[in-house]
Amino acid sequence: MAEIAVRTASVLHNKHIAPNVFRLEVEGSFRAKPGQFYMLRSWRHDPLLFRPMSVFDRTEESLSFLCATRGRGTDLLSRLSAGDGLTLLGPLGNGWERIDERIALIGGGTGIAPLYYTAKYFAAKDRSAAIDIYLGFRGRPFLQEEFAQVAQRVYRSSESGEGGEEGLITEIFNPSGYDTCYACGPPAMLAALSKVCQGAGIPLFVSLEERIACGIGACLGCAVRTRKGMKRVCKDGPVFRAEEVFFDG
Amino acid sequence: MADRSIRIGGLTLKNPIIAASGCFGFGEEYNEFYDVARLGGVCTKGLTRRPREGNPPPRVFETPCGLLNSIGLQNPGVDAFIREELPMMKEMGLVVIANVWAECAEEYGEAVEILSRSAVDVIEINISCPNVPGQVIVGAQAQQAAEVVRRCRSLCDKPLWVKLPPTAQIDAAQAVEEQGADAICAVNTFRGLAIDIETGRPIFANTFAGLSGPAIRPLALQVVYQLAAAVEIPVIGIGGITSWQDAVEFIMAGAHAVQIGTANFIDPLASMKIVEGLQQFMEDRRLHSWEEIRGCAHEGSPL
Ligand SMILES: Cc1cc2nc3c(=O)[nH]c(=O)nc-3n(C[C@H](O)[C@H](O)[C@H](O)COP(=O)(O)OP(=O)(O)OC[C@H]3O[C@@H](n4cnc5c(N)ncnc54)[C@H](O)[C@@H]3O)c2cc1C
Ligand SMILES: Cc1cc2nc3c(=O)[nH]c(=O)nc-3n(C[C@H](O)[C@H](O)[C@H](O)COP(=O)(O)O)c2cc1C
Ligand code: FES
Repeated sequence: MAEIAVRTASVLHNKHIAPNVFRLEVEGSFRAKPGQFYMLRSWRHDPLLFRPMSVFDRTEESLSFLCATRGRGTDLLSRLSAGDGLTLLGPLGNGWERIDERIALIGGGTGIAPLYYTAKYFAAKDRSAAIDIYLGFRGRPFLQEEFAQVAQRVYRSSESGEGGEEGLITEIFNPSGYDTCYACGPPAMLAALSKVCQGAGIPLFVSLEERIACGIGACLGCAVRTRKGMKRVCKDGPVFRAEEVFFDG
Repeated sequence: MADRSIRIGGLTLKNPIIAASGCFGFGEEYNEFYDVARLGGVCTKGLTRRPREGNPPPRVFETPCGLLNSIGLQNPGVDAFIREELPMMKEMGLVVIANVWAECAEEYGEAVEILSRSAVDVIEINISCPNVPGQVIVGAQAQQAAEVVRRCRSLCDKPLWVKLPPTAQIDAAQAVEEQGADAICAVNTFRGLAIDIETGRPIFANTFAGLSGPAIRPLALQVVYQLAAAVEIPVIGIGGITSWQDAVEFIMAGAHAVQIGTANFIDPLASMKIVEGLQQFMEDRRLHSWEEIRGCAHEGSPL
């Protein structure tokens, strides 16, 4: 496991990708497993806390994040430009561990962010792995070519019907034929996937989101009740076996 | 040679910087960033007689320069703490301050008695948690506070610190002192509220939550200033401290030591940086001991 550290890095690019979505890339060699995240800040005390972001991609020279603009923190991050400084705390969380031959990665909304590096990493680690990606967008899909490069097949849906099959990604996805499924996205999507995967007897790992304060497991601010007791999303997760999670709160 | 240590009751701490309860786990996580034994001491998460799951999410919510939390005292209980966490803390070389919460004086006594037989160095009685459903904050009332401390004092030979809520009046602090507390810790979080304007409902299941961070610093400093003038026993200042300069401010208001909470979330190295900053400050000012500046803000003032 890579050591957790606080580092500052300078921004290489910050690219607008879709309405309210940007890709932030910083310079440097960072270690991270797929499904792990970093805490980011480019300010001192206001906002007070770091903002958690999953690793979208990693190369020997850079680390990137795919972020949606939500509130003040992500708005400030969206305004960074090349050469600006960014403080990073990480890598954090457990990440996705197991690799099987036939893998489905399912993402909804900004939940698609961790899937790119996951597919790339798994494919590099095991050449026989067959990875399909399912992406659920609200509006017009983006990053289609990028995802196509790291997966065997990419399925898309769009709630608005623009540039993809109209509807939810859970309506397209069928777990049969896969050894393991990994999912990240809104709670309702994870709950629906959990149901179908459980029905089909196929293991599902889900990446959960909670409000994060310390990010390293010290404050219990992100704890959720699971079938195995209270767990910290930032430290014991964010990835959990779907059977352990109570999706109805 | 400057003496950076401080004495509180019979106990000497190597420096006046202590990690605050609930913000530092049991020390293990921050020990990955630096040797946590460099701190004067580490307060544990609030411990109770029996294990507690705490409150449902969301448990934290950011406000301007502040943090609302509603953790609800999730902890393994005193027995599991002593078995599973305390040996590791002692191995790390920490001065361990066990923060304890209970629903009534009787139950405080039970938890304190168990801890008094363990290897913890100090027991910090938390009579100021704002995050337990249906519970009043005992520490705000002098009589109730005194009852809890009397009970704990009679069952425990270890140093006993009492952590007060920010609303505590001077008479509560004096009552606690009278019952034999070795120090007063002030403050715990301020009771706060946040409402989701989409749903029209409070953000937190428990409605109210505790406010910490830089937003509360001047308020906390004011409380510490007043308590330091009102009691003989040491006061340990807490609230919004993020830098060594903030720590000096609390010492000048009369605090013997300070605790660092939310600042650890802003920078995992914050507590250690404050230790280093204070050391530099002592050298620059050619101080021999903290006594030379402690409470200096009171000189010539009407209080
Ligand atoms: C482990 C983890 C990984 C994440 N990865 C990504 C990612 O790759 N890309 C991405 O765009 N977003 C990701 N998020 C969500 C992202 O952290 C939040 O959108 C961000 O913190 C909002 O900050 P803000 O200041 O812009 O918004 P705020 O003004 O703080 O809040 C705006 C809205 O965002 C939500 N929010 C606030 N804080 C959090 C939080 N800590 N976690 C979840 N939701 C929050 C609130 O419900 C609120 O409605 C991740 C969250 C977690 C916990
Ligand atoms: C997430 C969180 C959890 C806390 N848990 C406890 C606790 O268990 N017991 C306690 O006495 N105080 C607890 N506190 C209060 C802190 O110890 C401290 O008194 C308060 O946060 C003010 O200091 P700060 O502004 O430096 O954080 C908690 C604070 C936070 C932010
Ligand atoms: S955010 Fe502090 S324990 Fe997870």
